[in-house]
Amino acid sequence: MRRRSPGFLLAAPAWAWLLIFFIAPVAMVVWFSFGYKPSIFATQATDKLSFDRYAEVLDPTFFATFQNTLWVGIAGTALCFLIGLPVAYWMAVKAPPSKRGLLVALVMVPFWTNFLVRTIGWQVILSPDGWLSTALQAVGFEPLAILNTRGAVLLGVVYNYLPLMILPLFVAFDRVNGPLREASKDLGAGKWTTFFRVTLPLAQPGIIAGVLLVYIPLMGDYITATVLGGAKGNMVGQLVASQFQTAQNWALGSAMAVVLIFVILLSAGIGAGIVWLVTLPFRARNRLVIGPPAPVPSAPSPGSGPAAASASIREEVGA
Amino acid sequence: MTTATTIEAGGGTAPGVGAAQGEAPGTVVIDSVTKQYGDATAVDRLSLTIQPGEFISLLGPSGCGKTTTLRMIAGFEHPDAGDIRVSGRSVLGVPPYRRDVNTVFQAYALFPHMSVAENVAYGLQQKRTPKSEIRQRVVDALDLAQMRGFADRKPTQLSGGQQQRVALARALVNRPSVLLLDEPLGALDRQLREEMQLELKLLQSRLGITFVFVTHDQGEALSMSDRIAIMRSGRIEQLADADTVYARPVSAYVAAFVGQQNFFRGTVGGDGSSIDATHAKVRAASASLQEGTAGQAAVRPEFVEIAADGPTAAASGTPNTARGTLIGVSHQGETMQYLVQLGDDQSLIARRPSPEAPQLAVGDAVVCSWRAESVLLFPSDDAASAGGYVAPPTA
Repeated sequence: MRRRSPGFLLAAPAWAWLLIFFIAPVAMVVWFSFGYKPSIFATQATDKLSFDRYAEVLDPTFFATFQNTLWVGIAGTALCFLIGLPVAYWMAVKAPPSKRGLLVALVMVPFWTNFLVRTIGWQVILSPDGWLSTALQAVGFEPLAILNTRGAVLLGVVYNYLPLMILPLFVAFDRVNGPLREASKDLGAGKWTTFFRVTLPLAQPGIIAGVLLVYIPLMGDYITATVLGGAKGNMVGQLVASQFQTAQNWALGSAMAVVLIFVILLSAGIGAGIVWLVTLPFRARNRLVIGPPAPVPSAPSPGSGPAAASASIREEVGA
Repeated sequence: MTTATTIEAGGGTAPGVGAAQGEAPGTVVIDSVTKQYGDATAVDRLSLTIQPGEFISLLGPSGCGKTTTLRMIAGFEHPDAGDIRVSGRSVLGVPPYRRDVNTVFQAYALFPHMSVAENVAYGLQQKRTPKSEIRQRVVDALDLAQMRGFADRKPTQLSGGQQQRVALARALVNRPSVLLLDEPLGALDRQLREEMQLELKLLQSRLGITFVFVTHDQGEALSMSDRIAIMRSGRIEQLADADTVYARPVSAYVAAFVGQQNFFRGTVGGDGSSIDATHAKVRAASASLQEGTAGQAAVRPEFVEIAADGPTAAASGTPNTARGTLIGVSHQGETMQYLVQLGDDQSLIARRPSPEAPQLAVGDAVVCSWRAESVLLFPSDDAASAGGYVAPPTA
């Protein structure tokens, strides 16, 4: 066994970073969520701990916003997956290898511009008196009425988060190398069977990474919802931000954030469970367990395959 | 699939499928096939008929077109011209998954997310084989490959040799008429490779399946094949059994690629039966070249005798002798190999069986001799260089 200490030391800066900038703040948020807002000029106090803020969180307005957030989060992630999957597959498998670097760079291009600016860009495009709406009206359509709806938020998040889905999927498909797909076809499987039985299962880590990379930040996103959603496209992220920034009630904001974290974990777990259940029959159909060989005295014992095999070959040759 | 039998019955009467009469199941006919990648010609009007149940090797350096040829039989590449028939039926335009051939891939290409048994069952599942039959055939195939005890492990838990066996079982379980093997032993260490060579050969003769084996290792090709096709720049340079290829190579290229050769280049003299090289005059037993042209003589290291030079080194009566300095001795197990410097640009390798190898030290003056019957003469050929090594062709 290798000694552990050098590797652990190498990871120390990362651990320190994680502790100071991730674990500690989350712990603070959880701590604050049990406190209260003592006066109009103070943001939070924790001298008396209670679950009161959680009771406050679960009012009907918040519930409706949560439903909306979940809807956008799930629909947005699903859309990113459905759009990103063929694109990533094409980039990794079908596109000429010499062009792949360029394609990855093109996927990254939107990141060169500020997130907020890009989202405001969509506001301009989707506005009822924007150029798109004007152009549509010129050919006889109604003015665009998409801005400040949930649809606009969905469009915005798909646009903003799609690269985060494509990149891990691309890496995953790229890793499932050509010989495996060729072996599948060689053994009689067509392209669809090859995709569903070889390519997709082996891309699983990339799919999980892509879905989580999109779903988690999307659930907490409030810029897209603020810019494109208006009142109808309200998301939990906005409520949390407004508690911290406008209402100056950190205790309530923290409680909302904790509920959000909980909902994200729970929904991701449920999602994984659903996928597991749906794919269960397919996996069961292809499963084949042989079990240990029957104890025949002359048969080579398990664990001595090649040695026994070459011994038997020598016997055959010698005979 | 089942097409082989129908074609056999239908013979040449089936229109439009390119069925050829008299080509039994397991026959592979490559009919002046050309494959180009851009400007480079990978396979150049190659024709080859492989008999049913034959073990044939495509041998050559990387880039000679052997793998491309194999991939065209498998269906992963498509010929630009010519025809390929398997069991009498043209496979042009037939996708790999509808061909009655299976491949053992270079790096095995086992599915890492499936167990050994599931890997082997994959091909049968595609053909909608009943579950009980799948189970029995998987067990049989694993027994055949001596991998029965590993059925429920994942490929990543297996050694290279074990993975090799699984890949073999996965291909053979489908009972193809033709098995294609793409350098399957390349990743194994030497001892295991030699064991597997023997096993593959035994397996092939037991099953009677046509094996098409691609390799750059002449030892592999020599030890297993019924016939060897030595390829060069997309064409077959020589097609013959191992003995013929070894003893009567048609060109300096083949001579250099199969086994080892000492080459002497010079001008053809003495009725076309000798080469006047800078450091030796090499005589062959028979004349085959035009006097006065540029030519080369080849002699294998195992035919070269070596002794310490000196008063006792009497002329042994052989027409070919060369004097030089011993610059290297290496023990190779059953043989000793001597590297002798004859001159600035000419060295000579001699190999003697270890029990009768003379005791010589580096720096000794030595005299080498060989019989005229062991000398092969070839016209000048840029593919072979002095010392017995061949630069790979560029294509």
